[in-house]
Amino acid sequence: MASNFWTSSHYKQLLDQEDVDVVLPLDKEKGITLEDFKLIKMHMANYISKVAQLVKVRQRVVATAVTYMRRVYTRKTMSEYDPRLVAPTCLYLASKAEESTVQAKLLVFYIKKLYSDEKYRYEIKDILEMEMKILEALNYYLVIYHPYRSLSQLLQDTGLNDITLTQVTWGIVNDTYKMDLALVHPPHLIALACIYIASVLREKDTTAWFEELRVDMNVVKNISMEILDFYENHRMITEERYNAALNKLPSRV
Amino acid sequence: MGDGNRGLSANSNSNSNHGGSNKPEWLQQYDLIGKIGEGTYGLVFLARTKTPNNRGKSIAIKKFKQSKDGDGVSPTAIREIMLLREISHDNVVKLVNVHINHSDMSLYLAFDYAEHDLYEIIRHHRDKVNHAINQYTVKSLLWQLLNGLNYLHSNWIIHRDLKPSNILVMGDGEEQGVVKIADFGLARIYQAPLKSLSENGVVVTIWYRAPELLLGAKHYTSAVDMWAVGCIFAELLTLKPLFQGAEVKATPNPFQLDQLDKIFKVLGHPTLEKWPTLSNLPHWQQDQQHIQGHKYDNTALYSVVHLSPKSPAYDLLSKMLEYDPRKRITAAQALEHEYFRIEPLPGRNALMASQGEKAVNYLTRPVDTTTDFEGTTSLQPSQPVSSGNAGSMSGAHVGNRSMPRPLLNMQRMQPSQGLTAYNLATQAGMGGGMNPGGIPMQRGVGQAHHQQQLRRKDPGMGMTGYPPQQKSRRF
Repeated sequence: MASNFWTSSHYKQLLDQEDVDVVLPLDKEKGITLEDFKLIKMHMANYISKVAQLVKVRQRVVATAVTYMRRVYTRKTMSEYDPRLVAPTCLYLASKAEESTVQAKLLVFYIKKLYSDEKYRYEIKDILEMEMKILEALNYYLVIYHPYRSLSQLLQDTGLNDITLTQVTWGIVNDTYKMDLALVHPPHLIALACIYIASVLREKDTTAWFEELRVDMNVVKNISMEILDFYENHRMITEERYNAALNKLPSRV
Repeated sequence: MGDGNRGLSANSNSNSNHGGSNKPEWLQQYDLIGKIGEGTYGLVFLARTKTPNNRGKSIAIKKFKQSKDGDGVSPTAIREIMLLREISHDNVVKLVNVHINHSDMSLYLAFDYAEHDLYEIIRHHRDKVNHAINQYTVKSLLWQLLNGLNYLHSNWIIHRDLKPSNILVMGDGEEQGVVKIADFGLARIYQAPLKSLSENGVVVTIWYRAPELLLGAKHYTSAVDMWAVGCIFAELLTLKPLFQGAEVKATPNPFQLDQLDKIFKVLGHPTLEKWPTLSNLPHWQQDQQHIQGHKYDNTALYSVVHLSPKSPAYDLLSKMLEYDPRKRITAAQALEHEYFRIEPLPGRNALMASQGEKAVNYLTRPVDTTTDFEGTTSLQPSQPVSSGNAGSMSGAHVGNRSMPRPLLNMQRMQPSQGLTAYNLATQAGMGGGMNPGGIPMQRGVGQAHHQQQLRRKDPGMGMTGYPPQQKSRRF
């Protein structure tokens, strides 16, 4: 399992983009558009990342938590599973799965520090109840592969040995969790797309290296385009825009 | 595990249980027979399915209590679920379902039930029938254990808590005599661990613990499982634990000198010559005087296990009990060992009687029929557990312990093609298994030395609070 992505539950559960971009009927009734849906998930990915920094867990835990959260919303509605509770709970569950358990009371403490807004205020009990609901919603599949694992190896293999390129690539990989890429593409292809973008930005010629890899370059380029589109379209999102989307949801479920 | 949604799908309606004495809906699909085990994590129950296509199938249900420190599902349960959801092998327990009881926040893992385990089989031979386990059975059990372990190790999973009570053996039925490795509460994926493994607390029952762990190794490997297999192999041969050290119970992770001493007495002292990295191990440096206190030079392993030093069995055993973890035989290498190529050849039904011998009738597990899923003892009169008649209630097969088991009409496998055929069956991960959720099963007869095995190290639950959090934010 851990060694072979192709036999993993992660691989078996990869979805088509069309199946990820579905706003479920109950959320639609509340006026949630596809754009809102994506924005809320992006906002929640940021939320998870912020809390994670406060409780000091590694990026891999954040990545797993965000993937859990995105998977939950392929099956459950935001109207019934409040993202403001699901997000920290996914971090809580991911911290256990990734062996760096964070206490629920610590999460609750930092959530209060981060957001004064009532709507974010949840207690330990709420997190513990939601943890079980998330386990169910994930159908108990908890092992998630991330691009990070293959990234260092791939970067080394390019022979470019450029620290800035490495840093840029890691940054792009982190940003991919603001999208649903992890639900759709295998992690090594996401890693390659990030290297591709970074090498173009850094004006490093990796054409020959990519040609030698036995991967479908079209897929890598398509993922790269998606990432670039995302950067293009989401530069100017304001807090108000997130809140407008979130406010369509009932505040307490 | 199939197409992702099969298997564990029938559990989403458990919300409907509104506390109190109402049975949760998912429970309706089982007949609860009784309690068969208990540990720090919770309880294990025996149940039978009521669903039409699998009616009467025995299931072991492991209940995880909500952790006392108010921190939700125990990390042990999370790890066990996440590993078991990914793996599928003939010689590994099969997780058939997960259930959640939202009203009391308890979590249930349902496994195919296995009637026997090596702990009980060994005990039966030692205390009841008073003769050795036959060679075919020992070899078949060992081969299947290695086969399951090879699968785990090639998937980068270390079990870390192998001991006879965690090695299950299927009872009557299509999979009779098939070995199932159980209890993954301490198992870890060892590729890129976030935390050095020893930080998670004491691991592996002390008698089966590898010398590098006893000497304080921080980063250990799948070789620790192979050491445990060596100890189990010897125990199958002699019916006695090979290295029966007295455990020091200070916390956390105390230096277990007596256990090391027991090992040295049989294997001689390790030397830097044979084990060059020995000098890096903390306890070897710090406690050298203690460690070197007694001098044992003569390797007496073959006489302890009553094997000829020239026999393939001894050769394999000594390679499993190699001090240097880097030189210790791997599961894959062990499966290729000559021991498995000479008569009697290992087979799929390890409990099948050899020619001219009678099959051994191992006891079925004692079932405490007075305990319900909440773990409360019912007030209704019922059979005492220790009488051995506990199974007289509906459908239980506990009462038939004196009846000979019907043997599957299977031929022993022929040398070369036999193992290949077995392998194929194994890789295909033939379903239809059955085995309990492992963990120490409740023993019918309480004897003092059982306590050693019944206790289970559970770093996630037994200790106050969780391990310290990560300081680093790096990858």
